[in-house]
Amino acid sequence: MDLAIRALVLYIVVFLVTRAVGRRELGTLAPFDLILLIVVGDAIQQGLTQDDYSVTGALIVLGTFASLQVITSYASFKVDRLRPVLEGEPIILIEDGKLIDRNLRRERLTAEEVAEEARQQQIASLEDVRWAVLETSGKISFIPKSS
Amino acid sequence: MLALVPLLALTNVFGQRPETTKQTAAAASISLYAPSAVRGGDLFEARFHITAHRELKNAILILGPGWLEGMSLNTVAPSPSTQTSTNGNLTLVLGDVPAGHAYLLFLQFQVLPTNVGHRAQTVDLNDGSTHLLSIHHEITVFP
Repeated sequence: MDLAIRALVLYIVVFLVTRAVGRRELGTLAPFDLILLIVVGDAIQQGLTQDDYSVTGALIVLGTFASLQVITSYASFKVDRLRPVLEGEPIILIEDGKLIDRNLRRERLTAEEVAEEARQQQIASLEDVRWAVLETSGKISFIPKSS
Repeated sequence: MLALVPLLALTNVFGQRPETTKQTAAAASISLYAPSAVRGGDLFEARFHITAHRELKNAILILGPGWLEGMSLNTVAPSPSTQTSTNGNLTLVLGDVPAGHAYLLFLQFQVLPTNVGHRAQTVDLNDGSTHLLSIHHEITVFP
């Protein structure tokens, strides 16, 4: 019984932490972020299963996480108002070649970082961009003016 | 289907929520607070609450082998004056319990990960060589 409750609590905590950390950090994992992610996973596992070494315990945890994931995605699919809360919304970073500072600050992004992302997508200058959108996955989509 | 296992877990099918089993006799009563289902690796406690209705000059608690089979007994508190084996049972000599007094005994266990199955965990309370009462408790260990 307690395993299912611990899994539920930790699911909510992990959800809140990922929303608080910001999508950009999760979308691009630097080596430090990757190691931190593993350490966090290990810390959560200890609180979750404690001394339980059983297959039954693993099934309870997996079943709880899978059920919560299905419930969350179904709620997001069915209720429009919940979608921004559960999945976030795309954020416009560039409009007609101009950076939107307010949105960059909100996601703790610098103009240099956006420019670097643009170069990786063969876009030489941010002035050539009609729209740059930070997607809910943490990736930046660029739509050039020429398209 | 996905939610079936967690739902069963929430209803304590897979343990480890403890429950109380009580037996009363003229001389004493005993209640056992322990889980009846656990999983490999779980830490759990069994609490024995003995109430003497008359003086028990030499209270002895006798636990069946199912209490220790595939279990690690981490703590017995308070320590009994003597621990012995009687016909394969664990015998804990608790000593004198005055009339109207209670004796609380805590046993803390850990389930060995290779332990799987269903076992009887009998509890007998004696006063010296006189048998007073028994509790028949069972435990299921899930793999």
